[in-house]
Amino acid sequence: MTTPAPNEPKSGIIDRVKVMFPLDWEIVRHMGAEPIPYHLKKWWFCLGGTIMYLFVVQVATGIALTFYYVPTPQEAYASVAAITREIRFGWFIRSLHKWSGNFMIVAVMLHMLRVFFTAAYRHPRQLNWCIGFLLLGTTLTFGFTGYSLVYEQLSFWGATVATNLAEAVPLAGPWIAYFLRGGPEVGENTLTRFFILHIGVLPTVAFILIAAHILMVRLHGVTELHFAGEDVAEEKRHFQFWPDHATTEILIGVVLMYLLTIMALIFPAELGEAANPNETPAHIKPEWYFYFNFRLLKLTSLKLSVVLTMVIGAVAFFWPFIEEFIARRWRISDKVPVIAGVFAFLSFLILTVWEAFAN
Amino acid sequence: MGVGLISSYGMFAVQGLLFLLPQRLKAPTRRLFAGQINQFQIGALQGVLDLQGNEILVKRDQQGLRAFNSTCPHLGCRVHWEAERQRFFCPCHNGVFNADGVATEGPPAAAGQSLAQVPLEVDQKSGVVYLEVKDVRKVTT
Repeated sequence: MTTPAPNEPKSGIIDRVKVMFPLDWEIVRHMGAEPIPYHLKKWWFCLGGTIMYLFVVQVATGIALTFYYVPTPQEAYASVAAITREIRFGWFIRSLHKWSGNFMIVAVMLHMLRVFFTAAYRHPRQLNWCIGFLLLGTTLTFGFTGYSLVYEQLSFWGATVATNLAEAVPLAGPWIAYFLRGGPEVGENTLTRFFILHIGVLPTVAFILIAAHILMVRLHGVTELHFAGEDVAEEKRHFQFWPDHATTEILIGVVLMYLLTIMALIFPAELGEAANPNETPAHIKPEWYFYFNFRLLKLTSLKLSVVLTMVIGAVAFFWPFIEEFIARRWRISDKVPVIAGVFAFLSFLILTVWEAFAN
Repeated sequence: MGVGLISSYGMFAVQGLLFLLPQRLKAPTRRLFAGQINQFQIGALQGVLDLQGNEILVKRDQQGLRAFNSTCPHLGCRVHWEAERQRFFCPCHNGVFNADGVATEGPPAAAGQSLAQVPLEVDQKSGVVYLEVKDVRKVTT
């Protein structure tokens, strides 16, 4: 038997680490030298990085909260109450988790609006739009399952309504509802399932989708945008990812941390009454990002609102391909997708504001 | 090899899905003591908890005793009795049901949904009121 001869020991500890971790630093340097279009110097074009930063805050605060949260109907509310009122800085961690979640949903929506209205979803980036849309769905599911874990009156009844809503999905509805609830009605199994979804399944899905999303951005490169009337010298049309763009992202991260802290201090996460499965409160409302759907439920029948939501979701998901299909058949103006986008967003906004101010 | 891979991993996927999807169990029913008939006053409504802790609304009026499932057939919220308006009201989507449990306003009315009635029996000799409820402890496939 022969044993491999030990490598010649290097002098410094860094050299030794380099040998044990044989990374090609030239590749890393090359990745950092990615040319970034100049428009990304403006923060509203950097919303992808903002979402990433907020996701990291969510993961960090979420892991911290898991140390104290107990996912059983008997203990869930009490454990959230303990986090909020007794555990040192529990209110702050919970508030950061809540606000970074809300900010993340806003950032995802703004990011999608930016991508839509700058037509950055068009060929060859259609697939990345679809991945982004799945990330929107994942983020909203994060919000829904997370809110349900609090097990207060509003969140309990929100979960009840939502799982019953799932039952109205054509064909697979009853199975989806049964799977989500873990039985015929919201109870012990539902809470466990939402907990596992929130801390295990969804983060895994999000990590995979984010990795795929970033990979696609790197493979295609960031969309080059040209604005009417602009006059930018050729050498200023791009700058390097490292250190220029990374610095912008770090600065955005600092500003976001300030904002999250301010929101947590002024509007800390509150706690309503404990869930009572035998009494639906007089006024129930979901979280603000589901207001449009809640209003739709009041305006139409259950089946119609569910089918309508599915159709709108499917159209939004496949929009790059639908637009291509339409453009191939009929020569449509570039204004048509913009008008469609404005109409869709305004509808969402009107339904949301309407529900926010309704009794 | 392809067939082997598909059949083995396919079986695993099916088993995994079936594991995650709880069995639809059919619970037998049993009689639940709800109280003495004189406890239920005419025109009033009383809540009785079933074996799962869900409230059943027992109402006594000129037509006799009737028990209603308090779960709104629209999206599963709990309805409550509004005595002054003689109606059941669901706060989730403003569903209204008349005193007989028939939907009159809101999404349940549009969908023609009514409150489910729970079978009820009064022992004429003793005056004991029984409800026929699901016995979730004795589930069968």
